[in-house]
Amino acid sequence: SHSHRKSVHIIMSRRYDSRTTMFSPEGRLFQVEYAMAAISEAGLCVGILAGDGIVLAGEKKVVSELLDNTGTAEKMYQIDDHIACAVAGITADANILINQTRLVAQRYRYTYQAPMLVEQLIQQICDTKQGYTQYGGLRPFGVSLLYAGWDRHYGFQLMSSDPSGNYAGWKAHSIGAHNQGANSILKQDWHEGMSLEECKKLAVKVMSKTIDSAGLTSEKLEFATVTKPGAKVEFTLMSAAEVDKLLSECELIGEDDD
Amino acid sequence: IRVWWCSKRVIMGDNIMTYNGGCSVAMVGKDCVAIASDRRFGLRQQTLACDNERIFRINDRTFIALNGLGTDVETFIEKLCFRLNLYKFRESRDIAPRTLGSLVSNMLYEKRFGPYFVEPVIAGLEVDKATGAVTPFVTAQDLIGAPCFPGNFVVGGTCSESLYGMCESLWRPDMEPDDLFETVSQALLASLDRDCLSGWGAVVHVITPDSITTKTLKARMD
Repeated sequence: SHSHRKSVHIIMSRRYDSRTTMFSPEGRLFQVEYAMAAISEAGLCVGILAGDGIVLAGEKKVVSELLDNTGTAEKMYQIDDHIACAVAGITADANILINQTRLVAQRYRYTYQAPMLVEQLIQQICDTKQGYTQYGGLRPFGVSLLYAGWDRHYGFQLMSSDPSGNYAGWKAHSIGAHNQGANSILKQDWHEGMSLEECKKLAVKVMSKTIDSAGLTSEKLEFATVTKPGAKVEFTLMSAAEVDKLLSECELIGEDDD
Repeated sequence: IRVWWCSKRVIMGDNIMTYNGGCSVAMVGKDCVAIASDRRFGLRQQTLACDNERIFRINDRTFIALNGLGTDVETFIEKLCFRLNLYKFRESRDIAPRTLGSLVSNMLYEKRFGPYFVEPVIAGLEVDKATGAVTPFVTAQDLIGAPCFPGNFVVGGTCSESLYGMCESLWRPDMEPDDLFETVSQALLASLDRDCLSGWGAVVHVITPDSITTKTLKARMD
């Protein structure tokens, strides 16, 4: 009889998941949860906050010799001079959101002649995402984003948002496939006062231990940093050569540890 | 809008484009361009500022100077920055001078029946990605975005007629950067010294593939 109840439960839940705007009897939004399931299949993204910057690392899922390298990144996008993000999920959905985020940032800049505060920007985008869970009857965006930015009020900030429209600020966080494993490594190894270089190496460690891949090369990884060396915030997408160099430095350290 | 035009004429006088004053010029050299403008900002005959920025650096290879009504210059450059930032982040590259010209023309014509009272002068270096060849480029437009591509020099502002005369006499093809700087400076100074609405010094930028040289000139300070 237990299995019978379970199957009834499953049938009942199906009634509530075809409409994004309806709660289930247990108070769940199934479409949002299914969106998060889509993201858990996507390439891992890791973000780590250092004292002097933020490191973003992403696992490229689409790896093929036939893929034409057009120069645009798969995981990392710059939103404004002072904010960048990494995406995990349906790339097409991500493109829409990134475009909207860029417009929001420029509208603010035009109105106030000043860069938008990081949290404010994320709040606005999350408001858009939340709208797709409450009205319109459209499905939510199947994207989680990790934002890395700097503003003069709160300094460097790392934030993430998910399909529900919730967002949170982090010291270190990961989204995408195997993110629980990655998050537990980050919880163990992140500590206050890490430098950017240490955070880069930590990101490499997290990626290597989490991604099931034979060897990590620059083909499978994208690395970016957000720093403020002088008056201007700089977003640097590391070249393939720089990523290879970082990986080889980390391997050497790994060998020493063993 | 007609009423607004009329009331603007009462406030601004007989020509809204000369209300604040100012001028600029851009010239083509050998693998280089120069763009120069004066620094006066005034309200008809009264001078308010002597350090007005009329030339804006878009990127290392492209500059734009905006002549005309000061408030529209400020607003138009803010709107242009909006569009240029989106271009930069979407295309992941810097805008080319010719493309900037098309963008500016489009933005100005959108306001065909209530225009921005600005006349842009654009100077830059077009780089051929395949060969690395550098082609200097200048263009100027009227306030509703009609462009011209003369290939030697473009002028704009209150003393544009004098500037046309000076540039026509002084310009020669294939000038090296130092020569180009001298020519642009002489053309600009001779024109703005005789114009009461332009003056108080000048700024000259000479753009080559490797560097941007910026110099300030002392003119008749009146």
